[in-house]
Amino acid sequence: MIGNDIVDLRLSRKESNWKRKGWIEKIFTTIEQHYIFEADRPEIQIWKFWSMKEAAYKAHQRRFEHPPKYNPIDFNCILGGKVAIDQYIYKVFTKIADNYIYSIAKESTTNYTSQIFNDIPKIQPFLLQKIAEKYDIDSSVLTIKKNDNQIPIVYINQRPSNILLSITHHGQYSAFVVSN
Amino acid sequence: MNKEELLSKLKTIIAPYVQNQEALKNLTENTDFIKDLEINSANLVDVILDVEDEFDIEIDNEAMEKMLTVKASIEVIENKLAIK
Repeated sequence: MIGNDIVDLRLSRKESNWKRKGWIEKIFTTIEQHYIFEADRPEIQIWKFWSMKEAAYKAHQRRFEHPPKYNPIDFNCILGGKVAIDQYIYKVFTKIADNYIYSIAKESTTNYTSQIFNDIPKIQPFLLQKIAEKYDIDSSVLTIKKNDNQIPIVYINQRPSNILLSITHHGQYSAFVVSN
Repeated sequence: MNKEELLSKLKTIIAPYVQNQEALKNLTENTDFIKDLEINSANLVDVILDVEDEFDIEIDNEAMEKMLTVKASIEVIENKLAIK
């Protein structure tokens, strides 16, 4: 299972006031808050943890076919790039760039390919092309539809495939991750 | 406070975070904050804090995790107001 999340830092500065009273406490555990306030740049630490939680949420929700839930505080960021929820642990890779933070969460056995895009109107054509290349199939037989839980599913000739996929978009940036 | 007043207050609270204005015009109980109104998930925290301020209630984690639709949010607010 796999999940990803991107934060456009220029947009998050406009959209979110993390200094607002109660904001941090609603999302982050006491341990996470400790790391946030100890960090050289608390803002970066906040969005790093946030993207880790969101990416792990997507992987977890997909794995157990959970309906959507808003419980970021239940996803515990652990040092060494891991997120724990209940008894499950996801490995998370995070890239911190000047203008964005990007996380990919996965179960230990899943391998993936990911691409980040800056300022494209639609990610879908790039994604279909990548899947077609990877699996050596014609992109015309591929479609992507979201299921009832808002999880994207890849269809090959109208049949649901077992290709795992996660898409994220925020502000100027979008990214996908596809299982190998 | 009746349901209509509550709905109207909730609509005012969520309006600044909504990215799909068309969906806001056609707001119903079944409207989903993320899917229909395209509210950024990080801004849901602001919606929850605004709800706490407006209704003078405290939304715990258990209530917060349900607040993804208009209907669920109204239920949470009603329940919290009832125990005030």
